[in-house]
Amino acid sequence: MSRASAHRRYLAAGDSGVIVSFDDLPMASATLRARQLAGRITADTAVLGAGVRDIIPGLNNVCIQYDARYTSSDKIRKIIDGLLPDLDADAAIVGQHWQIPVSYGGVHGPDLDEVAKATGLDPDEVIRRHAAATLSVAIMGFMPGLGYLKGVDETLYLPRKQSPRAVVPARSLGIAMDQSVIYPMESPGGWNLIGRVPVRPFDASRDDPILFRPGDTVGFTPVDAATFADLDARAARGEAIITPVKPAAGKNS
Amino acid sequence: MRAIRLDTAGPHTTVQDFGRVGHQALGVPEGGVLDRDAMRLANALVGNAADAAVLEVCLGGMGLTLLAPVRVALTGTCETYLTVQDDTGMALQVQANRSVDLVAGQKIRLGPLVDSNTATLAFSGGLMTPQLYGSRATSPSAGIGGVDGGLLRDGVQLPLGDVASDNEITPEWQGSDLLDGEVAHLRAVPGPQDDRFTSAALATFFSTPHRVTPLLNRMGMRLEGPGLAHVDNADIPSDGIVTGSVQVPGNGQPIILLADHQTTGGYTKIATVISADLPKLARLRPGMEVCFSKIDVAAAEAIARDHEASVTAMLSRLAPAAPLFDQGALYRLGDTT
Repeated sequence: MSRASAHRRYLAAGDSGVIVSFDDLPMASATLRARQLAGRITADTAVLGAGVRDIIPGLNNVCIQYDARYTSSDKIRKIIDGLLPDLDADAAIVGQHWQIPVSYGGVHGPDLDEVAKATGLDPDEVIRRHAAATLSVAIMGFMPGLGYLKGVDETLYLPRKQSPRAVVPARSLGIAMDQSVIYPMESPGGWNLIGRVPVRPFDASRDDPILFRPGDTVGFTPVDAATFADLDARAARGEAIITPVKPAAGKNS
Repeated sequence: MRAIRLDTAGPHTTVQDFGRVGHQALGVPEGGVLDRDAMRLANALVGNAADAAVLEVCLGGMGLTLLAPVRVALTGTCETYLTVQDDTGMALQVQANRSVDLVAGQKIRLGPLVDSNTATLAFSGGLMTPQLYGSRATSPSAGIGGVDGGLLRDGVQLPLGDVASDNEITPEWQGSDLLDGEVAHLRAVPGPQDDRFTSAALATFFSTPHRVTPLLNRMGMRLEGPGLAHVDNADIPSDGIVTGSVQVPGNGQPIILLADHQTTGGYTKIATVISADLPKLARLRPGMEVCFSKIDVAAAEAIARDHEASVTAMLSRLAPAAPLFDQGALYRLGDTT
């Protein structure tokens, strides 16, 4: 058995999922490895054979969902074992870069002052540090188009709020621990809200309803409330107010 | 255009089909009907393709008016009837698991469900609300599909597809225990995070009944039991979730994740209900007790294939139904011996 395949563990999600976990590797290598595997089998789904329903990249794992009427866990594991040794040569998912305007603080970011207090920084410095980082879309979940954006400046690390809000407005920008999220639609939520964005991470009326996806990178540009209002109105009319740059800076970042 | 109008939508009625497959990496839930077997039977009874969109009625309490001639079938419940009313006020009960040909203007009522949490209602031609990612299924929590992404409201009109040729014979299901069998016994495969639970917790999970609580929607079903202890804590690096996952957060009380579950999550999952038993979850009602029995992946996969054979067999056992609207029979009664 090669070194590469030694670093994997198969977990059973009943008779409908195989989770390939790289959890005995350090998190950074495990994330990379999961992205490489997800990239490889998403680019060429035929390699897994018939009966595979979906491939979901996780933080240090990949979940392969299948239909037991047409394939089996054994079959999928054997194919994955065959792919793993050659993965290093493959590129991980390399996406595009999205530079997203943000109206920080005020009514758009009701927790900014609290975040400033908790981190011992003044609000402008919180904004500067948040906007200076390039975040990467690690995984998606919770709702359509919601990406967990990793790479928040470590001086901004905070837990989620003790009691979640019943209603978080759509397009709110939240932070917790090393991640940011943009809520694509109104929902309950426990993240610290520091701003709001005019772009729609999910819009069912668009040809491609999803904006960014795993492997993409995201940066933030502070804008004032008036600019936000203008961009938001244009986005509401279905205008594409930002365009991605491709490919993302730094492969595998 | 053929259509129906919901006069009383009921507390939790949605448009459903088999869901949108293949987009969970983008956070888009698969969704889809909770009781796939019931949907397949209902569509077969009205002559639709297996994946035609249907109404999923949770809890019951729904009324609608047909705006065109439509063949209708109710499945997923045995004890709740459709009450059909025409404009003369004449009412007639139509049992589940058979189809009935109705005309424009007739009204259907479905009372509160008594033996199931969910019933499925198919209409010839299928519901034709807009598609997203190839599916009309509603995921209210994600705000997508169906009508405006939400629960159906009173007064909404739903278009139906065209019906190619009118078959004179309304079919009836000939029975098997597939849809009315007991639902309280669920088979489950340990994992994906069974190693994060104490051995006592695993033993408890597979030996002690858990009660279904009223905290139940299309995303999940919260159970109440003696409490399942983690080795350390309930947090994991997020992974993709399958329907039927039994997630156990820090409080030790399990949640069975249903069709509209989040696509990824960061809580430990002690076991996964096998795919063949997922339709049973749609029929469980708050207050019922469920027991989990442990099986391995290979056995669960074999059951999935057997289950498919049973469903196919069920669909082959449709036969002509006894007429419901034979009003002449009223006058012939005196002639019978």
